[in-house]
Amino acid sequence: MNIPVKTIIESLIFISLEPLSKEKIKGILAEFSPEEIETALLELTTDYNSPGRGIKIIEVAGGYLFSTQPELDSWIRRLLHSNRKSKLSPAALETLSTIAYNQPITLAEISSVRGVDASHALKTLLQKKLIKIVGRKKAPGKPLLYRTSDRFLRYFGLNSLEELPSAEEISKMLEEEDGK
Amino acid sequence: MESATPYQINLEVFQGPLDLLLFLIRKRKIDIHDIPIAAITGDYLEYLNRKDSINLEREAEFLLMASLLIHIKSQMLLPRESLPEEEDDPRKILVEKLLDYQKIKAASNLLRQKEETRLPEWQRSFLPPLPKTEDLELTEVSLFGLAEAFYFLMKKRERGDLKTIERKEYSIEEKTREILEVLRIHAFLDFTAFFESQETLEEAVVSFFCFLELIKAGKIVAVQEALFHPIKVWLRKESADEYSGQNHH
Repeated sequence: MNIPVKTIIESLIFISLEPLSKEKIKGILAEFSPEEIETALLELTTDYNSPGRGIKIIEVAGGYLFSTQPELDSWIRRLLHSNRKSKLSPAALETLSTIAYNQPITLAEISSVRGVDASHALKTLLQKKLIKIVGRKKAPGKPLLYRTSDRFLRYFGLNSLEELPSAEEISKMLEEEDGK
Repeated sequence: MESATPYQINLEVFQGPLDLLLFLIRKRKIDIHDIPIAAITGDYLEYLNRKDSINLEREAEFLLMASLLIHIKSQMLLPRESLPEEEDDPRKILVEKLLDYQKIKAASNLLRQKEETRLPEWQRSFLPPLPKTEDLELTEVSLFGLAEAFYFLMKKRERGDLKTIERKEYSIEEKTREILEVLRIHAFLDFTAFFESQETLEEAVVSFFCFLELIKAGKIVAVQEALFHPIKVWLRKESADEYSGQNHH
């Protein structure tokens, strides 16, 4: 029996809870060449991302994952008896971007950038597992250091931190805005 | 003078004093690198004054910024012995802070857009249990991961029912033996379930110390299949042999 590699990969992504990385797929499917796998992945994502499908394959946090199409939100919420997913508060979001652009970072440093105490927002983000503690800073009081987590990437649909616009790009954007 | 129509000021719409300052700077269409400090301080104080009262707990930071502005303003009024150089412009620290904050604010607007795109998309969040084989790819849980798990478990307990308990002493030696015994029989134990089975906070704390000691001694290892998956504690192979050997003795 000759099962196409595309079909196998489809099943692997389907069964994965966490984004399934290319490296992992290649490791599992050692009998196929990396090129074959790359091509199959490309075909598979194109297949799914064509119109008329309820699900698509997204690339987040360094891997592939099945996701529903956004326009089906209300139907899924009927099934799950769920309300619209709640957004992060402005304070939490601001704290999160401070961490994303300055990681690893301590609470005092976050509060200093934001100009307000960030401890409450930090707690919320830890509970939502959008950030994680990665150690302690070698500084007086040995404060805890925070980083964004894989769940952070997944939450915002980012494949890696590099997908965020760089600090320089943001400065440029702001200058252009000011120029208007 | 200030031409804005008076309306009820709600400081809550601003994320903090820096946010309010940025707003005032934009409103005046001035260069952030060359803030007319007297004018901006005036605007800022007027905003604070328009409020009937200041909620100190929530708005202390706004007052702190007001005092910083006044301080900078007074420094700029002082006669100088030498010509002011750019380096000791009293506004420098404030400008740097504002520039940094402006970037963070722009970044958080971008994240908000991304969040909005993602919210109506759903992904599966549960999966039938994975087969328990030894060659599963497992990640060792960091000390902080473990401490965090312990913290949330203890927090959960705080909300639980209170019951009277008789005073009981727990020894590390005894607890360690108990943990190793469980591991010898079951090969692994579930971190969460184990702590939920602990009767008192004291017992849980003693157990947590035992886990830390055993991990440090390399006798056990705490692992998970992936981040955020349940933490499982396994006996290391070497110590499994050692322990069963001891037991037969």
